Amino acid sequence: MSEHWLQFDGIAKAFHGVKVLKAVSFGVAAGSMVGLVGENGAGKSTLMNILGGNLQPDAGRIRFAGRDYLPRDPQDAAAHRIAFIHQELNLFPNLSIAENIFLTRFPRFSTTPFIQRSEVDRRATELLREVGLEIPVRRLVETLSAGERQLVEIAKALSIDARLIIFDEPTTSLTERETARLFELIARLRARGLAIIYISHTLRDVFRQCDQIVVLRDGQVLGSGPTNTFTTERLVSLMVGRPMSQLFPERAATARFQNATASRDPAGALLAVRGLSRPGLLENISFICRQGEVLGLAGLMGAGRSELARVLFGLDRGAQGEVWFDGNLLQDASPRERIRRGMAFLTENRHSEGLCLDAAVADNLSLAGLAEYGRTGLRWLPRGPLQDAITRIRGEVNIDPRVADQQPVRTLSGGNQQKVVLGKWLLRRPRLLILDEPTRGIDVGAKYEIYRLIHRLADNGTGIFVISSEMEELIGLCDRILVMRNGKLVDDLPRSEFDRERVLRAAIGNPEEASS
Amino acid sequence: MIREKVTARPLLDWFLSEYLVLGLTVALFATVAPLTPGLATTASLLKILSYMLPLLVVAIGMTLVMITGGIDLSVTSIIALTSVLGAKLMSSDGQGAPLLAGVLLMLLVGALLGAVNGAMVTLLRLPSFIVTLASMMFLSGLAIWTTQSKNIYHLPGAFLLLGQRLPVALAMTVAVGLSADLILRRTVYGRWLYAVGQNATAAHISGVPVGVITFVAYVASGFCAALASIMLTARLETGSPVLGHEILLDIIGATVVGGTSLFGGKGKVAWTCFGVLFLTVLDNALNLMNLSEFAITIIKGGMILLAAVLDSTRRRYTSQAL
Amino acid sequence: MKKAARRLLEFAPLVLFGAVLVLFGSLSRRFLEPSNLVNIVAQASSTGIVAVGMTFVLLTAGVDLSVGAIMFVAAAVAGKMMLAGVALPLALGAMLVIGLAVGAVNAFFITRIRVVAFIVTLSTLFIGRGLGLWITETRAMNLPESFLQLGSARLLGVPFPAWLFGTVVIVGHLVLTYTPFGRQVFAVGYDARAARKAGVRTQRILASVYLISGLCAAVGAVVTLGQLGAVSPKFGQQKEFTAIAAAVLGGTSLFGGRGNVLPGTLVGALLIQALENGLVIINADPYLYPIITSAVIFLAVWLESLRNRVRSAGAIAVP
Repeated sequence: MSEHWLQFDGIAKAFHGVKVLKAVSFGVAAGSMVGLVGENGAGKSTLMNILGGNLQPDAGRIRFAGRDYLPRDPQDAAAHRIAFIHQELNLFPNLSIAENIFLTRFPRFSTTPFIQRSEVDRRATELLREVGLEIPVRRLVETLSAGERQLVEIAKALSIDARLIIFDEPTTSLTERETARLFELIARLRARGLAIIYISHTLRDVFRQCDQIVVLRDGQVLGSGPTNTFTTERLVSLMVGRPMSQLFPERAATARFQNATASRDPAGALLAVRGLSRPGLLENISFICRQGEVLGLAGLMGAGRSELARVLFGLDRGAQGEVWFDGNLLQDASPRERIRRGMAFLTENRHSEGLCLDAAVADNLSLAGLAEYGRTGLRWLPRGPLQDAITRIRGEVNIDPRVADQQPVRTLSGGNQQKVVLGKWLLRRPRLLILDEPTRGIDVGAKYEIYRLIHRLADNGTGIFVISSEMEELIGLCDRILVMRNGKLVDDLPRSEFDRERVLRAAIGNPEEASS
Repeated sequence: MIREKVTARPLLDWFLSEYLVLGLTVALFATVAPLTPGLATTASLLKILSYMLPLLVVAIGMTLVMITGGIDLSVTSIIALTSVLGAKLMSSDGQGAPLLAGVLLMLLVGALLGAVNGAMVTLLRLPSFIVTLASMMFLSGLAIWTTQSKNIYHLPGAFLLLGQRLPVALAMTVAVGLSADLILRRTVYGRWLYAVGQNATAAHISGVPVGVITFVAYVASGFCAALASIMLTARLETGSPVLGHEILLDIIGATVVGGTSLFGGKGKVAWTCFGVLFLTVLDNALNLMNLSEFAITIIKGGMILLAAVLDSTRRRYTSQAL
Repeated sequence: MKKAARRLLEFAPLVLFGAVLVLFGSLSRRFLEPSNLVNIVAQASSTGIVAVGMTFVLLTAGVDLSVGAIMFVAAAVAGKMMLAGVALPLALGAMLVIGLAVGAVNAFFITRIRVVAFIVTLSTLFIGRGLGLWITETRAMNLPESFLQLGSARLLGVPFPAWLFGTVVIVGHLVLTYTPFGRQVFAVGYDARAARKAGVRTQRILASVYLISGLCAAVGAVVTLGQLGAVSPKFGQQKEFTAIAAAVLGGTSLFGGRGNVLPGTLVGALLIQALENGLVIINADPYLYPIITSAVIFLAVWLESLRNRVRSAGAIAVP
């Protein structure tokens, strides 16, 4: 094929003098599914934003279906039947499903400005049926789950009769079942002739679904070709730029955590949970976590893992049961109190819950530890000690040295942002670190650094309680894995018994069961 | 990503910095002074200063509330209500109580009213705009009702000193300003206040006592309003149920022009000083030029807009690379 | 029982309105007389019309503090024109043009220069009030009879202001609910950046709502002029706050993206007026009006926040 159906030719783009794309060229065949992989900051989103009409390239051109293509705005791209489904879904919860789909394309009564409601409803229902969603189209989007919302986005794409759909990290907020449903739908769409560009950090999905892979690093294409010409190692080394024989650092010092019965003995444990219940969310949860232990929590989305973490940290007060920390019973203690005792909690939403985006790196780093540094009743902050602590912690979590202390956190990459949040919690040298999806949306290189950090902390005696939806991550990282399903703890595996199928079976349970 | 140096020209840099408003004030003064013989005299400058002080005190309280992302529309009503309550207590037509009792009552009531605002915002989770709007109407109505729209006269001489003796008023203002500034810049409480305005959820998870901090900001605002009321009531020698009602927008305008963001997370006592100074100089200069009320109002509005436009331009010019 | 309470909460503004009607109806028979009820609607018209325009602005998470000043300038200009012998329709036209013009100025600074709405409309408030004072020479102006006829004219026994109010409410409702523009206003109010990404002409929408607000302010001024027959230096003062209160009472959120004109703002405006009307009829101390009104506003806002809390708790949790 001399010219591909979609061809990028020398696309370049710079922001404020920094080159984000440096002459990107590759082609996409009609009806194919291309996996676009690369670390955060490699340029994937920028490239797709150019394709989708959100940005203008500085140089280069795009050929689409035999014609030159340069969209001025998203509507122009839509006119060319290219749809971009962003990672943060672009839906309006305060509007209905149908209104979201037709927001800029409402069918109207001939020349009047009035919306033809019946037509809107009819078309929307049809579109929903195509994506496999049986929900009344007048329902407000705010009542839908993440998976359902994504299907509405896809329905939007179908409404413009898209021939190319770009997916940016579509599965990060989906349950396993929703992910499977998504891939079924993608297969159906491909059978109709649609092409897909699929951006994802979940390499397993990329390998399984895509027939072509393109690797970006530092704004350049470093590898491109059929999927079967790539192995995970080659892919990762292309992405990261250095050979990586494994994705996870070696986990030593786990022998003492292998004794199954000892793992249930609460005496001397750092964290002991007994009979924790919250109607509708948690049911009779009991487990312990010991000093220096990396304890993982697996389960499907909706199983109650984040809820459990929030209860452990005191963000949710309505639970019954006991939480013992360091031999002390925590009765309704506030997050502030728990921080004082040595707990730390990295939530799964760093933008909305972990960072003050417009504040400086230094201010974010010091936020949780301020109370410790305040002197006398008025809590004076002497400049020296706090600054020393900030410098120390920057080194510990390895924040990019080019980042200035006073820089607003908003300007950092995902990986550096997550490191800032981690640094914030580590400033106080916590005894127990609760991590909820610590590597979500982070590139491979930064992930490895975080894993190494976790192991180092555990080796020094910190207890780590990590929640993750990535099975490989838990298996590579932990000494023990707990599995939750429907608010209950259903399995407890020591490292010697780690088995992907077993965890998955425990997480999913009996497929014939009514509840999800 | 490394922050780029925006411009090499130091003058432009300074102009675009946080001293923009101060620069505008000086420029304004320099422009108008030659045209207005009375402006640059010591008497006039002292007048400007004494006029500015009560405004500044209230604006400082307002700044604290704005940093948390809220707003306190009820400050002028608190001024009015504390004015009449204090006057009633101290006036020889009223209770004839000693100075200390009157002053303490006013400050206490101001703080209490601020506490009520704070409670509604933190406990009931209501938007501050509407809560303090309702408070404003309520307290203003209350002040007018208790006095039946009549002023209260014959206040004790010692009390009048508080507002009319410049050194006293200056000392009070400096005390408030300095305390607020030090707390904001050098204490944990200040950092917590900024965090609450920047991201209350993240702050809460990080152990910041969000509710308490927000509550205290409103109490401080009420307290500052009461302090300003003392100065204003003393200066006017009258307890008035409509005291201050025309300066609400001036206070908000001055604070925002100074650079404090309405969205929270940003603000400094120094900025508010610049903003209040700007507005006061403007007001006085225009008054001295014998302009009519309407011209003054128009120019004031135009100046606020101008300052905001310059600030917006400055912000866009210095925005960071992503 | 809990379900019933939840239902009641959904219609809080209406329930409150009903409660006020029942309360004052029981305290005085005159209150519920048709002529008095019509009176309430007529008196609420001015604020109500302005509040409809304000609703559009609030829905985009903005605010328009200049509406009162717009009313003042429009009324002042119309007064001058009529006293100079200009025909009534021309004077009315001039008022509408002024409303649109000031709205355009607001829109320009907010959307093009990107200054926050609070400050821009605060400035136009100052400038507008100043202009009005200049035009009226800080004196009251008595308008010729023809204007008063506008206020007292009746069609089918209902005063003209009430008709105007009803029309504005219906048009506003139709636009918000049944036109793409209206739906996009909600999207912009929820998240302007996301709306831009979705292809909505955000700038155009933001500009339009301030034009609408200015226009409604002018129409509101027409009604007030018709009812008062004069322009005083205090014309329209504090109207911005009562308009915001009426909209918020009716369920419009100050954060944008939520609210409606029918029944919302309509009921909000009627509620405030019914309250004042009732207090007058039972001969309550006039000094108590603002106290009671603000207490009711506070109550309504609190119920509204409870309603939102309940609504979001019932929705499926989403990440």
